[in-house]
Amino acid sequence: MAKAFNLLTSDLDVSSESDLSVSSRASNRSLRVAEKERRKSEAEDPFLLALKYFSEVKAGTPWMGNDVLERNLVLVERMGLTRGLPPEVISTMLDYAMSLRMGAPCVRVLKFLIPATVVPQEAIVRAVAWLCVGKIAISTQVLFLKWVLTFFDMIDSKDHLRSIYGFIFNFVTEEHLCPYICHLLYLLTRKDMLHQRSFIFSLSPQGRQPFLLHLLSLYKVFCPELVTTALPSKLRGGFKNHVTPWKGVLNAIQKRNTGQVTSDIRLTIGVKDGSNSRKRKCNHLQLPSLNSAVQRNLSSTNSRKVFPLEQLHSFPELLDNLHRIELPSQMGSLLGSSLALCYLDYVQDDSAFLRLNFWLGHALHEGKKASPYAQNCVLPVSTCQNCSPLCLFYAYVLSRAPQEGFFSTESFLYKFLNVWDGSLLRPQILGLLSHIPVVPSSCIHQLLFEPLMQLFFSSTLFFKCSVIECLNDMLLKWLTWHSVYSVEDGLDISLNSHTPMNMTLSGFMDSVMELVLFVGRLATVGLQLEGCSSLLLSFVLDFYETVCDMFLKFELPLVVMPPVGVFYPALFATDPVSVDRLCFIMCRYKQNLTAAKFQQQEHVFHISSQTYREFNRYQLLMVSTLWNSRLFQPGMAVEVDHNLLALSKVPEPSASFTLIRHPAFVGYALDFHLKCWPERKDMDLKSVKAGKHWEWYLEFLFSHGYLGLQQFVQSNINWHPGSGTKSQGQGDGQPTNG
Amino acid sequence: MSLLKPFSKLPELNTANILLVENEEQFQQILAETIVLLKKNVNVNVRLARSLPLPIENEKFRPRIDLVVFIINLTSELSYQSAEVSLKFLDPDYFLGKVCFLVTNARNASVPPERLISVRKLVASLHCPLLFAEDQMTDGVNTAAHRLLAILKVTSGHVPMATGLYLSSLTRCTVPSDIDQQNFD
Repeated sequence: MAKAFNLLTSDLDVSSESDLSVSSRASNRSLRVAEKERRKSEAEDPFLLALKYFSEVKAGTPWMGNDVLERNLVLVERMGLTRGLPPEVISTMLDYAMSLRMGAPCVRVLKFLIPATVVPQEAIVRAVAWLCVGKIAISTQVLFLKWVLTFFDMIDSKDHLRSIYGFIFNFVTEEHLCPYICHLLYLLTRKDMLHQRSFIFSLSPQGRQPFLLHLLSLYKVFCPELVTTALPSKLRGGFKNHVTPWKGVLNAIQKRNTGQVTSDIRLTIGVKDGSNSRKRKCNHLQLPSLNSAVQRNLSSTNSRKVFPLEQLHSFPELLDNLHRIELPSQMGSLLGSSLALCYLDYVQDDSAFLRLNFWLGHALHEGKKASPYAQNCVLPVSTCQNCSPLCLFYAYVLSRAPQEGFFSTESFLYKFLNVWDGSLLRPQILGLLSHIPVVPSSCIHQLLFEPLMQLFFSSTLFFKCSVIECLNDMLLKWLTWHSVYSVEDGLDISLNSHTPMNMTLSGFMDSVMELVLFVGRLATVGLQLEGCSSLLLSFVLDFYETVCDMFLKFELPLVVMPPVGVFYPALFATDPVSVDRLCFIMCRYKQNLTAAKFQQQEHVFHISSQTYREFNRYQLLMVSTLWNSRLFQPGMAVEVDHNLLALSKVPEPSASFTLIRHPAFVGYALDFHLKCWPERKDMDLKSVKAGKHWEWYLEFLFSHGYLGLQQFVQSNINWHPGSGTKSQGQGDGQPTNG
Repeated sequence: MSLLKPFSKLPELNTANILLVENEEQFQQILAETIVLLKKNVNVNVRLARSLPLPIENEKFRPRIDLVVFIINLTSELSYQSAEVSLKFLDPDYFLGKVCFLVTNARNASVPPERLISVRKLVASLHCPLLFAEDQMTDGVNTAAHRLLAILKVTSGHVPMATGLYLSSLTRCTVPSDIDQQNFD
């Protein structure tokens, strides 16, 4: 029986229609019937007939009670909603609908007009022509424009559409159409198109609406001379990402047709299947897929060749087609492809940045559910219980977003800091934070410091360390910008050509100063709260390693000394590494200050004498503490009353932090003592100080890798190893009181 | 009416007491369990209350409370009002660094933005810290517990050289001024 069945199915090649549970006789009959029907349908396909009907139906045919129309409509509708319509059908149906040959069904037709592959641009051109006739109801016109915007990426090529740019532009005056027309123009505009024509804008009061401003800002990028109105540098709102009924159907159809979605978030960030149902709930969280439907062979026949980004698969391909790449309508899709990001980095196209900025702003701020005015609604909470897709989505967007000069990510960040709990998306947020461009010193407190401070002091040690590290990265980034972009003569910097951010040198220095002082405060109190934790101290010293070299490495005439709250914990630290790094930092400070002093006469900058004094005080203290055993003595930075010291019953308190008795180094001293006099029973560390042993002891220390200490001793202390005696190391390291 | 006073009782050795006040009694339970399970070097007692004043009967056995935490769920107006009413039953001394506010659901889109602003204003007027918590996620609850514990250690005197007043002067909430906000947008 089974054998017969197999035979049958293989004969007819319609395995999908067979059912194993039915008896062979029944299946036999039903298969035959199906076969017959199939042949019959091929002869006169009702679908083709329906199309024929729509393309030939006369204008003025009544539609009320028209059964033929109804039957045909249902046929095409079912096809459209299940499998999508081929290009020629789209063309026919769009023409039928927009010509209003039968009046009312226009809206219904538009609703099921889902393309299976591409939308022929001629169909749209024709439809726009019908739009110009002006018989169509406004709501239908809006629906049509939404339809075009939804399927913009599937339009096979856009050159003909661009050639009727002027016609489309005329619709801007229509109040209801304006937002959609602006969006369409925004997507269509190219630089060369604007040079040929000039548009005269008279901005009525309602003209300052975000969508118009967005379009204008694009024009301004292309031809600044055309747009004379002042535009706000940071635009909010703009084009809504219309949630149209078509998108869901389109996704379903594409999934069915290709067996997989082209490149949605599930594929790109490696969340594997199974999250399918959950993903549908958070449909708005997908990165748009790169699916502009331009066929390569098709476009090559056109006068202007375009190369869709999603067909790029390798870097050489990118190089070959660099000049004719077409940007997608959903700029967010660029984030999904590293090649696309390369392209974006390379072209430095202002309009592309503008559009990506807009997309990011939309994704980060407005989301789907948040009301646009709600200031606190950053990172909208999804209604679904499990938030992981949402987190992944934002993590993904945040980690991929090109971070320089994107106001949308910045403003998102500033708002988010105000409601951040300190753990949600921590790596991404801190990463983003370290990449923000220089914040003017007037608002740096409000935007950054206040929320950060509130988070910093109420969080764990780990968080404190990561904040300091992030601020160090931020400073490094700022300084690098400065050294790269600073203009030769005025020392002024203009950051990123695609942002309106210009800064004077003094403004920049103020911001850097604020940042350094802020970290100084954070570090001081943080170290105190965490009991001078070595881990935190190490991050703080990282930061000051950047700070001490600002003049020599980054040519910024600014030297800021660490506060005492950082200096003393590092100097009296129990781990030798911290002391060693402090020595290194002080050496760098000395070199920077000396260099600055030399150049100060030639240049205009001035480093305050207060800084020199501070440096000298630290230097003197370090030499007298580590070397000369003169701690607590009059004239030193730390003065303690003798009687008080006597009460502590510590023998020789002034020598308690020398290189021998310093808690960080006493272990080495003991080790050294053992090695020198292995047979001695009583430990006498003083003997290390005497004669040749002192010299050996220092060599011993340096040999353990304390190069900072070595550098410090060699550059600051008049010590001649050959002489065999320890001279009174006179902190000669004073670049003098400038 | 009895005021809860911070200094009316003697502290116990190596012990810190935290009081979580939440009208809805949802988050406080989870948070309390998390805090108790955290690794720490002091004994931490967590006490829960729906609102203040606390019942007089237990007055005798109640230890000294080192930190009072008001948990406000932003999606509910009642939660905010209840916290506001409870505040009156705290001795003014508590506001010298021994009170903090924990807000949940701050990112929820259905919350009217004015509510967060009014919470900010209230907390800023009391010079207290304002923390945010993600109560739906395990990580969020853990972080909130860690942060509360860090503050509790300071307010109960287990961190040398730091007091609650000192800490709260650093972390106290501020209301972003509207002008700057608009400029920025």
